[in-house]
Amino acid sequence: MYKSAIFLLFIIVSTSNKYVTAENDEDTSTDLYVIEGKVFPWENGASNGWQLMTHVMANGGEHYGFLREDGTFIISNVPSGSYIIEVVNPNCVYEPVRVEINSKGKFRARKVNLIQTSQVIQVPYPLKMRPLTPFRYFQVREQWRVTDFLFNPMVLMMILPLLLIMIIPKIMNDPETRKEMEQLNNFTNYNMPEMSEVITSFLSGGEKQKSKAVKAAKKRQ
Amino acid sequence: MAPFVRSFRGNIHRFLIDVQILQYLIILVGLFNLSLCLYEDQVGKFDWKQNYVGKIKFASFDTVSAAKKIIVATEENVIAALNLKSGQILWRRVLEKGYGGRIRALGGVTDGDLVSVSGGVPAIVRAWDLATGHILHEWPIAEQNHDRRFSPFISFSTLGLYSANRIKDVKWHIKDGTLHHILPIYNSAVEVTSYDSKTGDKLKTRRVSAPFITQETECVLAAPYLACLKGDSSLAVLLLVHLFDTHSQPQSVTINTIFGAGAQGPYHLESVLGEEPIISISADNNQRKRILLVGEVPVPIQRDIVGDAALYVVSVDNEKILLETTYKNGAKIVASELLTSKPMPNISTSVTHNSLLSPTIIASVCPRQTKGVTCRHLLASEDHSVALLQHNKLIWAREEALANIVAVEIIELPMSDRDQEIETEFDQKERDVLSMMFRRVGSQLKQAKTFLQSILSLTPQQSNQRMDLVRDKFGLHKMIVLVTSAGKLYGIETRKGEIIWQLRVRGIRGFSKRSDAIILYVQRGSRHFPYPPQCALLAEDKVCIIIIYYHQFDQTGEGIVYTFNPITGQPLDGLVKLGYRIKQSMLLHVTTDDFLRGILIFDIRDKVHVYPKGATAIAASIAKNTYIFTADQTTGILSGYSLSYSTSQELISHKVWELLLSPKNQRITHVVSKNPIERVHSQGRVLSDRSVLYKYINPNLVTIVTEGVGHTHKNTLNLYLLDVVSGAMIFSIMHKRVRGPVHVVHSENWIVYSYFNEKSRRTEIASLELYEGKIQSNTTVFSSLATTKLPIVERQAFIFPAAIESMRETITEKGITSKHIIVALANGGILELPWMMVDPRRPINPEVREEGVIPYMPEIPIHMDAIINYNQSVFRVSGIHTSPSGLESTCLVFVHGLENYNCACNTMFTDLFYTRVAPSKTFDVLKEDFDYYLIVIVLAALLISSYITKKLASQKAQKQAWK
Repeated sequence: MYKSAIFLLFIIVSTSNKYVTAENDEDTSTDLYVIEGKVFPWENGASNGWQLMTHVMANGGEHYGFLREDGTFIISNVPSGSYIIEVVNPNCVYEPVRVEINSKGKFRARKVNLIQTSQVIQVPYPLKMRPLTPFRYFQVREQWRVTDFLFNPMVLMMILPLLLIMIIPKIMNDPETRKEMEQLNNFTNYNMPEMSEVITSFLSGGEKQKSKAVKAAKKRQ
Repeated sequence: MAPFVRSFRGNIHRFLIDVQILQYLIILVGLFNLSLCLYEDQVGKFDWKQNYVGKIKFASFDTVSAAKKIIVATEENVIAALNLKSGQILWRRVLEKGYGGRIRALGGVTDGDLVSVSGGVPAIVRAWDLATGHILHEWPIAEQNHDRRFSPFISFSTLGLYSANRIKDVKWHIKDGTLHHILPIYNSAVEVTSYDSKTGDKLKTRRVSAPFITQETECVLAAPYLACLKGDSSLAVLLLVHLFDTHSQPQSVTINTIFGAGAQGPYHLESVLGEEPIISISADNNQRKRILLVGEVPVPIQRDIVGDAALYVVSVDNEKILLETTYKNGAKIVASELLTSKPMPNISTSVTHNSLLSPTIIASVCPRQTKGVTCRHLLASEDHSVALLQHNKLIWAREEALANIVAVEIIELPMSDRDQEIETEFDQKERDVLSMMFRRVGSQLKQAKTFLQSILSLTPQQSNQRMDLVRDKFGLHKMIVLVTSAGKLYGIETRKGEIIWQLRVRGIRGFSKRSDAIILYVQRGSRHFPYPPQCALLAEDKVCIIIIYYHQFDQTGEGIVYTFNPITGQPLDGLVKLGYRIKQSMLLHVTTDDFLRGILIFDIRDKVHVYPKGATAIAASIAKNTYIFTADQTTGILSGYSLSYSTSQELISHKVWELLLSPKNQRITHVVSKNPIERVHSQGRVLSDRSVLYKYINPNLVTIVTEGVGHTHKNTLNLYLLDVVSGAMIFSIMHKRVRGPVHVVHSENWIVYSYFNEKSRRTEIASLELYEGKIQSNTTVFSSLATTKLPIVERQAFIFPAAIESMRETITEKGITSKHIIVALANGGILELPWMMVDPRRPINPEVREEGVIPYMPEIPIHMDAIINYNQSVFRVSGIHTSPSGLESTCLVFVHGLENYNCACNTMFTDLFYTRVAPSKTFDVLKEDFDYYLIVIVLAALLISSYITKKLASQKAQKQAWK
C-alpha cells in the first residue's frame, strides 16, 4: 500500500515535471507545478451544468482550476509552497484540502486543520473531493401543527387534569367501582378539591380558567 | 391517590425548574442563532443580483454552434457567452484575479473550439466548450530556456522582470487548432513557437530573422505577417515579416508609398480588426489614416480615412468590406469595398442611442440570407457599454460600466406629491391663524379637485418623476447612486434593481494618487422639498495630449466638481473646473440657508477652498473647530491642520502636527475612519458586577495600517490608532509574519481587521476594543484636546476559516441595533457575522460568565444560514456599502465588485448584489410571515366561546334558581 503510494507520487511528479518550466536553472524554487484532482458531484443533485457552477480555488483565489465534464481539474502554474484547495460550489459543502509542494516537487495532501497546524492527516493525492452535505442556507419556517400544540408541556399540563376531572366522576358513576372507591374515599375525597386548587392556582390563565371553573361548578352538582 | 398527588406536586416543582433551564437554553440558542434570518420563501423578495462581465477586450460571433451566441473576453478576466437575441449571459467563467488571470488572446471560435490564453509568464492556455462553457483542456506554455541566451539586451535573471518587460511584446495567434506564440527577440529575429492548442504539444519552433526589431519598434500582428514601423520621420519604413516562412526576407514599404509625399509624423500603427491581414497607419497627429493590405505584395489603399474612425473589415460573399465607425451625436457606420473604395449604402447604417458613445466595432458578421445581407455588429462604447446592432436597429445593450464601481451612495427618495403639498402647507414661517386656515381650505380644495379629476379620468397629473419613485413608509425604497470608473453615473432603485437614470461625465478620472477613487458627496438629501437633492462628484480632470508615439495623459490632474440631482440624474451646476489639485476634501456638517452642505477642499498648496463659494461664511463660522488631516502614501507623512486662524472671508490652514511613517520601512495601505453618519446608542457596557465600563468613543480616531517594506520588515503589519485632531497616537500594534490582504472595519469603539498569518498559514481576524474605564471623562461631548487619558485596549484574535474579500459593518438609524459585520468571502458567499463573535472581551476562562459575552473559541464558525446571498454567489467583491433604512432594525446592504491593485490599477469583474439585513431581527415591525389568520381565528373563537359560556352560565343559574 505504502509502496504504491510512493509509486503514485513518483508518477505524479514525473508527469508534472513535464510542465516544469525551469525559469532559472540555478534556482529550482521557481519551478511551477500542477495540482490535479477530481471533484465528485452530489449524487442526487447532480444536475447537468454542475461543473459550470463549480471551480477549484487555491489559497483563496490565487490560482483557479476549472472542471472538465468528468469532474477532473488541474491547477497549473503553481510554485512550490502550501496551498489550501477549496471547491467552490454554491450548493454543496466540500472539505478543503491542504496540498504541500516542497522545493523538490514532492506533493503531499492533508486535511486542513487551522487550529493545530502541525497535525498531519494525509489524504490521497491526486485529490478526490467529495461533497459532505448540501448547503442549508435557509431556516425552515415554523408551521403550526396539531401535534406540536398538543405535546406542548403547558397544554399537556392543562389537558391531563382536565381529563382527570372529567373522567373520574364518570368512573364514579359505575356502581361497582363506586363501591371500591367509597372504601378509598375515606382518605381521598378531601384531597380531590385540593388538587384542582393547585391546578387553578398554578394556571393563572384567562379564558381557559374560566371555562374550567364553570366545569368545576358543574361537577360539584 | 395520595402518592400520585405528591408526585404531581413534585412534577410541578420540577417543571418550574425546567422552565428556568429552558429559559436559559432559549437565551443560549438565541445567542448562537442571532443571524438566522432568511427563509426559503423570502428568496428574491428584497434582494436582487445583477451579473456583468466588464469591459470587452475580445469578442467573436459563434456562428458554428446550433445556438448562435457571442463569445466575449473582458478586461475583468471573464470569458462569457452572451445570447445573441437578448444579450443575457449564457455562461460565464471567471478567471484568476489581476495579473494572473489577464486574458491575452482568445480565438478559435470559427473552428468550433474556444481557446483562451491568460496569465503572465508562463501563460495558461485553456480550451473551453463553446456550448456549455466547460473546460476541455488546460496547459501552461512552457517557456524555452534558450530564449534568453540569444538576447543580450534583456536580463532574465528574475521571473518578474521578464514578465514585466516582455509579456507585452508577445503576440498570440490562434488558427486551425494551433496556437502560435510570437516573441520578438531584439536585434535578431522573431521566434514563432507553435503548439497544438488542445494538447499543448510543441509542434514547431521557427526563427524568422528580423534584425531591425529593437525595444522601441512598434509592431502589430497582421497574421501571417508581423508589421513593424521603424523610424518616426518621413523616412519611416514599414517592415513586414512573414512569420511562417523562415526563408523569406522582410518586405519593406516606405511611408511615402502609403501616404504619398507630404505626410507628417508621428505615425501610429494599428491592426484592423477582422479576419484579414490589414493594418492602418495614422499620420498628421492622428488626423488621417490609411490602410494597407498585407500580403505577398502589400497593397496600400490610396484613400484618406478620418483619424478617429474605428475600422473593421468584414467579408461578405468573399468580398472584403471596410466598415468605418464614426461618432457625432450618434454612431455612423459607413461600409465600402476595401479595394475599390466603392460605397455600399445597403450595409451602411447610422444609429442614435443613449447607450452608444464613440463606439467601435469589435466583432461583426454579415451572413448572406434570402432577403439579402444582414450585418450584426457588436459595438463597444467608450463608456464600457456593449450593444448589438442589427439592421439599423439596436437589439440590446449591456451597461458593462457597472462592472467597475468606484463610489456608492444610497439616497432617500423624495416624498410623493401629496406629501409634498402637506409639507409646503406647514412649512411657512408665519403662524397666523387666519392665513393658515385659508391655506388649509385652499389645499383641501386642490385635493378635492385632483380627486375629482382622477375619478373623471381627466388629464393625469403631470409629474416630472415616476409615480413609484417615492419614499415608502419604512424608508426601505431608496436610490443607489453609482459612480463607475468609466465616468458614467447610474441611479438604481433598490426594489428591483432597475436603472432609473444614467449620466455621462466626460473628461474626468479618479484620483491617480488614490488608486482611481472618485469621491461622491451628498450635499443635500431629498428631505428639503422645494430644493432639489444634490450630489457632488470630486475627481481629476482628464487632459489628453498626444506625445510622439503614444497617447499620454497629462499629469496636471486638476480637480473638478460635478454636481447633479441624484434622483433624476439631471446635472445641476455641471462640470466646474477648480484650477488646483485636490489633496483632501471634507463635507461640512452645517448647512447653508438652503440646506446645502458645503465641501471643504484642501489643495496641494495647503490652501482651503469651499464649494460652493456661498458656503464660505458658514465654513468660516465653524473654522475654529475644524481640523483637516492628510496622509501621503509616497512620503509616509501624516499631517494635521487647524483652520482656527481663518477670518470670515478666507479660510487659512495651519499645520498643527506631523507624523512620519518612514516609507523605507513601511507603506501606508489603509486609512480608515468611522462612518460619519454613525451614531452610538449605548455609552458603555454593563459588567457582571453591575458596574459600567464606558466606551472610548472618539469620532476623530483614525486607523492607519501599514505593511512593512524591505528585507527586514517584510511580512509585518502595523496598525496605528491616531487621533487626527490632536495628532496623538492612541495605540499601535505590530504583527510579525503576516501579510495582506488586509481589511479593516472601524466603528463605534472597536476595530476589526483581517490578515493572513504566514506562520500558521491561515486567515485571522483580530479585534480591538477601546474603553475609557469605569469613569467617563465627559458625559456630553468628546473632546480630543481635553481627553489626555489613554483608553484601555482589549484585543483578541480569531481564526477565520475562509479567505476574505471585503468587510463592512452594518449601520442603522439610531445605532440601537447590534452591529454585525458583513464579510464577503472568496467563495462567493456574503457572511453576516455578529460582532459578538469577534468581541475581544470573550473570556478564555469558561468560568467567567458575563451577560452577552460568549466564551472564547479560537475559530469563528461560518454558519451557512448566515450567508445572506444564499446560492447567489457574488465573486470578487471589492466593496460593500451599508446604509440605514427608516426602520431601526434594518440595514440596507449593497455589494459590488472592483479591485484596485496597486501594481496595475486594474479593475475587476463584478456582480451587484443588494439585500437588507436585520442584525437584531426585525423587532420594530411585524414579521412578514406574521399569521394574521391565526390571530383572527383565535380572537374570534375566544369571543364566541365567552358569549356561549355566558349564555350557558346564565341558563345554569336559572335552572339552579328553579330548584
